Amino acid sequence: MSEFLEPFERMLTALFPPDRVRAIDGGGEWEHERTEIEQSGFLDAMVPEASGGAGLSLADTSDLWRAVGRNAAPLAIGEAMIERADLDDTGRALLLAAAISGAADRVLAMTVAYAGERSQFGKPIGRQQALQQQLAVMAEDCVAIRMAVELAAASDVPDPLRVGAAKSVASAAAPRVANTAHAVHGAIGISAEYDLQLYTRRLHEWRAALGSETRWNRDLGHALLASHAPVLDWTRSRLFGEA
Amino acid sequence: MFDSLTLAAIPPEDEALRPQVRALAQEAVASLPLEQRARTWMGHDAAFSRKLGAAGLLGLTLPTEYGGGGRGPFARFVVVEELLAAGAPVGAHWIADRQSAPLILNFGTEAQRQFYIPRICRGEALFCIGMSEPGAGSDLAAVRTRAERSTSGWRLSGQKIWTTGAQHADYMIALVRTSGGPEDRHAGLSQVIVDLKLPGITVRPIEDLAGDEHFNEVFFDGVELADDALIGAEGQGWSQVTAELAFERSGPERIYSSLVLLDGWLAHLRKAGRNDDATAALVGGYVARLAALRAMSLACTARLAAGESPVVEASLVKDLGTSFEQELPIAIADDLASHDNPVDPDLMRALTYITRVTPSFSLRGGTREILRGIIARGLGLR
Repeated sequence: MSEFLEPFERMLTALFPPDRVRAIDGGGEWEHERTEIEQSGFLDAMVPEASGGAGLSLADTSDLWRAVGRNAAPLAIGEAMIERADLDDTGRALLLAAAISGAADRVLAMTVAYAGERSQFGKPIGRQQALQQQLAVMAEDCVAIRMAVELAAASDVPDPLRVGAAKSVASAAAPRVANTAHAVHGAIGISAEYDLQLYTRRLHEWRAALGSETRWNRDLGHALLASHAPVLDWTRSRLFGEA
Repeated sequence: MFDSLTLAAIPPEDEALRPQVRALAQEAVASLPLEQRARTWMGHDAAFSRKLGAAGLLGLTLPTEYGGGGRGPFARFVVVEELLAAGAPVGAHWIADRQSAPLILNFGTEAQRQFYIPRICRGEALFCIGMSEPGAGSDLAAVRTRAERSTSGWRLSGQKIWTTGAQHADYMIALVRTSGGPEDRHAGLSQVIVDLKLPGITVRPIEDLAGDEHFNEVFFDGVELADDALIGAEGQGWSQVTAELAFERSGPERIYSSLVLLDGWLAHLRKAGRNDDATAALVGGYVARLAALRAMSLACTARLAAGESPVVEASLVKDLGTSFEQELPIAIADDLASHDNPVDPDLMRALTYITRVTPSFSLRGGTREILRGIIARGLGLR
C-alpha cells in the first residue's frame, strides 16, 4: 500500500461530503474540487517519476481508485489518471472494478453498522441469524471483488483477460451487495436523504459501464476454449501470470 | 473489511515443486477413468500416499527434525493443487497431512511428536477425525463420548459417526468429554489419540448415496487408552479443535473438488466445436470465479504461513468455494442436457457422481450455516 493512499483519501473525504456528491449527481459543477485535485498532483499518480509523476504501480493506483469508490467521488478523477498514463479501455475497466470494490466495502460497513444499531423485536436486527447469514455472504462478495481487483492490478500494465476476470467478478457481485444492503436497511435505505443510495446506484452503474459480467465472461471463455490447456494451467498462466 | 487477506504469490522455491508433483500425479491417474478421478480427496490409495511420502511431498509444513519438509503452507498449496487438479487419489494421507500432524506439532508432547509425525510424513500413519456423533453435528460441543481417568490412563466409551476413512485409518484424533456434561458446553472437552487396533473398538462403514463407503460409525466400548493418549491440555479440546478447523477449511480442496469435471466438460466443448458466445460466457464466468477463489485461497495460505490461525478468513473461502463447486455441476448438467452433441459416457458418469455428492461439499468440515455464523461473528454481529 502506497504512502499516497491516506492523504488521497483524506482529500476525497474533505472535498466530497455526501451533500456535494448529491449536488454533483444532480448535474452540479465541481470546478473547485477539480482544481484542488489538479493542484494536488494525484492525477499524475501513474506518470513515471522521470516525467514528473509519482510513478505508482497499477496495484497502488488501483488502491486510489478503490478510495474513489469508497467516497462516491467522481470517476473522472480515475479517468484523468488513466489518460495521463496513456492507458486504454482495459485500464478503465480495471478502474471500474476497483471503484465497485471500494463502494461495496463502504456499503458493507454501512450495513453492518446499521444492523447493529437498528432494534426490532427487542434486539438489534443484526442479532437475527437470517440477517447474519445474508451479511456473511455480502462480506464474501466484498472480499472476492477485492481479491479479483488485486489480482488484475498485479500486472505491470492492464491485461485484458486479467482485468476481464476482475470486472466479471465485480459486476456479478455488485447487484447482490446492493440488494442485501437495501434489504437490511429497510425503508430508510430507499429515502433520498439517506446516503446508502449514493453507493448502491453507483454499484449498478459501474456494473454495466464498459460491459457487465457476461461481456467479459465471453472473452474469457473464448480464450480458454481456444487454448486446449487444462483449466488450472490456463488460469495460472493467463490470470495469475505464473510461469 | 478482512483486509488481512491480501494477494500473495507462491514463493519460487515452493513453486519449484510443481513438476515433480505433476509427474507423480499423472502417473497415478493415467489408467483411471474420469469418474474415478472425480473422487480426488475421497479416493483411497495407501500405496500412492506412501509414494508421495517417499518423494518428500507429505508433511511439507512440518519441521525436518520430525521427518517433515521444513517448508511451509505454500509448498503444501502447490502439492495439493496439483494432486487435486489431476484427480489423484489422496484420501489415505489427506487428514493426517492436513490437520492431524500440525495439531500434534502444535499441542503434542515431544514424545508424541517423535512417535507420530515421522510416520505421517512417510505416508505410513493414516488418521481420521472423530468429531461428529449421533447427537452432535453442527453443535459439536454436545459430544457425549467420554474418556474417564483409569489407573493406567483413560477409559473411552461412546460413539462417533460420519467418520471419513475410519475403516482404513490407523489412528483417530477424537474430541471427547473428560469432565462435566453436555450442559457444560465447551468446558470439559479434550482431544485424545486413539489407536484404532485397540480392543473394544468397532468400525462399521456406511454406504453413501454414490455407492461408496467412505464414512463410518465408530463404537468405543470401554477402550483402555494409555496415559499419553491425551493430546494437548485436558479441557482445552474446544480451542484446539477450532485451530484445527482453520487448517481443514482454508485449503484449495474447497475450490477444486469439481475441477476434474470442469476439465472434462471443457474437453467435450472443444471436441464438439462449441465456441459460440453463450457457451464462452458460461465457461468464462466459472473461470473468473475460480481465479478470485484461488487468489483468496492463496491469501489465506499467506496467513497460515505467517503463523496465524485464520478462522474467519478460512470460513469465507470455504463457503464461497463450496458454492462454486456446487453450482458448477448443475450448470454443466444443464449445458449437456440442452445440446445434442454426443457425450462421452465417462464424462456422464463423473457428472452423475459429482452431482450426487455435491451436497456434502457444504456439510463436511462445517456446514454453510455454521461458517456464515463464524463470518458474522467476524463482522462483530454476534
